[in-house]
Amino acid sequence: MKRSPSEIKLEQMLRSSKLVAGGFMGNDPRTPEEIIRDDAAALQRLGRTAAEIAQRMRTLTNTARAALGNWVEAEGKYRLRSEEWKGMLICPWPHPGRFEKRLTACRRLDTGEEIVWSDLNIHLIEAHGFFEGKGSPFRLEPETLVRILF
Amino acid sequence: MTFESCQITINNSRKQMVRGGKSLLATLHEQKIFIPTACGGRAVCGLCKVKVLKGGGPLTSPEKPLLTQQEQANGFRLACQVKVQGDLEIEIPDDLFRIRRYRARCSKIEDLTDDMKRFTFELENPKTIDFTAGQYIQLRCPPYNGSREGVTRSYSIASNPQENHHIDLIIRRMPHGICTTWCFEHLKVKDAVYFTGPYGDFHLRPADAPKIFIAGGSGIAPFVSILWQMKNNADKRKAVFFFGCNRIEDLCLLDEMKRFEQELADFHFVPVVASPSPESGWKGQTGLVTEAVQRSFQTLRGWEGYLCGGPGMIEAAVRVLAELGIPQENIYYDKFA
Repeated sequence: MKRSPSEIKLEQMLRSSKLVAGGFMGNDPRTPEEIIRDDAAALQRLGRTAAEIAQRMRTLTNTARAALGNWVEAEGKYRLRSEEWKGMLICPWPHPGRFEKRLTACRRLDTGEEIVWSDLNIHLIEAHGFFEGKGSPFRLEPETLVRILF
Repeated sequence: MTFESCQITINNSRKQMVRGGKSLLATLHEQKIFIPTACGGRAVCGLCKVKVLKGGGPLTSPEKPLLTQQEQANGFRLACQVKVQGDLEIEIPDDLFRIRRYRARCSKIEDLTDDMKRFTFELENPKTIDFTAGQYIQLRCPPYNGSREGVTRSYSIASNPQENHHIDLIIRRMPHGICTTWCFEHLKVKDAVYFTGPYGDFHLRPADAPKIFIAGGSGIAPFVSILWQMKNNADKRKAVFFFGCNRIEDLCLLDEMKRFEQELADFHFVPVVASPSPESGWKGQTGLVTEAVQRSFQTLRGWEGYLCGGPGMIEAAVRVLAELGIPQENIYYDKFA
C-alpha cells in the first residue's frame, strides 16, 4: 500500500533524534503504521484497549507524583516513583502536544517486574496507539503493560 | 520568493535591517538578540513569545494553544512562527538585549551524587558574564551519535555571581535525555561549549522578609548562586533552606551548605531524606520535604517562599506555604517546565 507523504515524514521524525535521544523507533524495521497495527492486534488478543492502559498509567502516575520523587507503595501491589526534570517532552505527531519531563517507575511487589514510562508514553498510547518501536528505550510491550497494570 | 530587505523596529526605537524569509526567532538570533527557546522553533515550548505591533501575518494554528486569549488579544506571537516577510514592529523585554552567546571551555566535572554532576565552564568569548543569582542559561548540545541536529536545554547557574569568568551548572541525568546524556557521556574537560544567557526572573527579592527556600535534586542549583549572592552582600536576612531527597546518598554539597551556615548571619540548611535506611543512623528530618516544612513551622506569615523543582514538588510546596500563611504573590518559583 502506497504511503502518504505525511506518513513518510512522520517516520523520519520518529527515527530521528530531534525530540528524544535515539528516536522512538529503536531498531525496528517496521513502519510506524505496521507497529501500531501489530500492537493493536496484540491488545485485542489481550482483551484491553489503549484507552484503558493509558488510564491506568495516568492513575498510577498521579499516585506516584504525590510522593515528590520518592518511592511510594500503592494499591497493595505496586512500588511507584515519579521523577521530574526541567523541560518538556514533545509529541512527534504534527499537532501541539507537550508534556512535562517526568518518568514514572512502576514495580510489582509480587513479581519484582518493573516498567518505566513518561507522560509522553501515555499520550502516544492513548492518542496514537503507539507503543514505540522494538529496541527503543521507552518501548512498552502491550503484554508487559497488561500483565503489570491489571 | 526572496525578501531582500525588511525593517524590524524593536521597542519603538531600535531599527534592524534584516534579510527576510526566515522566522522572526531565527532572524533575531542572527542579529544577536537571543529570544529564549527550548524546542528549537517547533511551536511547542511557548518560550519565544514576543509582542508584534505591526506585520507578521495572522496567528497560526500551532500558536493558539500556547497563547492565552489575553496574550492573543494583546498581539503576542511565537517568534518561531512569525515569518519575516515584510517590515515588523515588535516589543521585547529590555533584558533580552543583555543576553549574549558565549563560548566557554569545560574546566571541571565533579560527581555530586550517582546521577548528578557539577560542570564548570570557563568563559572564553565573551570572557565574563553578568547575571543575577537565580537566572539560567541555555546550553547548546551539539549533534552526536548520528543525530544531525543539536538541541538547547535550560540549566540554572549554580555559581557565585561575583566570579563572573566562569559558571557552574548542576545537572541531573535523565535516562536517555539528549542533553544530559551528552553532558554525562560525551562532554570532557577541555571541550568547548556554547550557551546563551542569562535568562529568567527567578531571584531574591529585596524585601526584609525572612526567606524559605525549598528544592529537590538539581533544584539546589539556583540556591547555591543565591546563597553566594547573600554572602557577597553580607545579607543579614533570615533564610532557611529545605532540601529534599530520597536517600542519604542523594544529599550533596553538605560542606558548602555548612560553610554558608557559618558565614551568613542567619541561614539554616535543613536536609530532608524521605526514606533513610535504619542502619544509616540518619537523625535529621525524614519524609517529604513539604511535610518537614509543615512540621517545622506553625506559621510562615510575613515570609517569602522560593521554590525550585519539578511541577509536582512546586504544586505541593505552594499549597503548604499558602496554608502556613504566605500569600501567593510572595511565593516565587523556578518550575522545571
